[in-house]
Amino acid sequence: MTMDTGRLIDSLAEDLRPVPPRAVERRMALALAAGMAVSALVTAAGLGIRADLLIALQGHIIWMKAFYVGTLAVLAACASTRLARPDLALPGWLWLFCLPVLVLAALAASELAHTPPQDWMALWLGKSWKVCPFLVLGLSVPIFLALLRALGKLAPTRLRSTGALAGITAGASAALVYCLHCPESSASFVITWYSAGIALAGLIGAALGPRLLRW
Amino acid sequence: MLAALAGDAKSYHLLLNEVAPLLRGYFRRRLGGAAEDIEDLVQDTLIAIHSRRATYDGERPFTAWMFALARYKMVDMLRRSRAEISLDGLEEILSGGDFEAATQARMDIDALLASLPAKQARVIRETKLEGWSVAEAAASGGLSVADVKVSVHRGLKQLALRLKDK
Repeated sequence: MTMDTGRLIDSLAEDLRPVPPRAVERRMALALAAGMAVSALVTAAGLGIRADLLIALQGHIIWMKAFYVGTLAVLAACASTRLARPDLALPGWLWLFCLPVLVLAALAASELAHTPPQDWMALWLGKSWKVCPFLVLGLSVPIFLALLRALGKLAPTRLRSTGALAGITAGASAALVYCLHCPESSASFVITWYSAGIALAGLIGAALGPRLLRW
Repeated sequence: MLAALAGDAKSYHLLLNEVAPLLRGYFRRRLGGAAEDIEDLVQDTLIAIHSRRATYDGERPFTAWMFALARYKMVDMLRRSRAEISLDGLEEILSGGDFEAATQARMDIDALLASLPAKQARVIRETKLEGWSVAEAAASGGLSVADVKVSVHRGLKQLALRLKDK
């Protein structure tokens, strides 16, 4: 038995190739970029880019949306990259996730305050509240799969948290892509229905993590 | 390990050979169980060290990283075999606990002792770590009792100086 282990060590040492620095970060970033590219293609081909995108980019609403989901995506991507290392626990800065939510909640509140109460429902539900969370969830699938593939080659040991954070990363970056299509323009819409899609992706990630991330 | 990440197969070979008995001790202490299972886990962990070496962050302690892999492999095996272990036992297994700390401390001590002349290192190890009497250490090394005492004294003084420098 010890003989076998000795031989195993020999063959492992023979197989050694240098590892580039920051290989973990690189792999995760690559997976995220590849997944988002696929989502963007699906958005462009399947849903269509909103016709007034160029005009919208001049306004502040699309940037408000992009800021919200972009911050969430960056935070979740950093946290899941951290969890790809076996000896690191959840970061102490998870509370930062509250910041974009609070900022958007404040925006939504002031928006409601400036709107007559009979229009609140229209503002909140927009035209697409029934499909928005599911489109975000659908667009998150390619990103989630790419992240799972990357994490599977790394060494996460907290599979449920890693799955959840990978799901949130996928959901939030899918929502960022979805901004290219979605014409909705109220903060209360975004904080409810975008968040619902992202949270759904996170929940599914947490449910699947322990099964799909095992190594 | 840093040399291994850079592609130095010789240091890597040395490292894996040094690490294998540590892992064996780790699993034996946690599981007791059959020697075969333990050797399987050792090999699984060695393979994990190899295939997941990119996840080692050079700025953090190597042993913590390695035992995190080992613990994962062990918990995974326990879960797969659905072995019945009591919850308090599980907690101790999961927390890794004293053995990791002790191993790291031992590696620190080994490194320090290696910086001393061989005779001083040996007598310190025997009298201070293994708990031998001075007479026993003298007999085993073919030295006089006075020689052992002087060597221990000089060695410890050197170590104290070295620690202060750090």
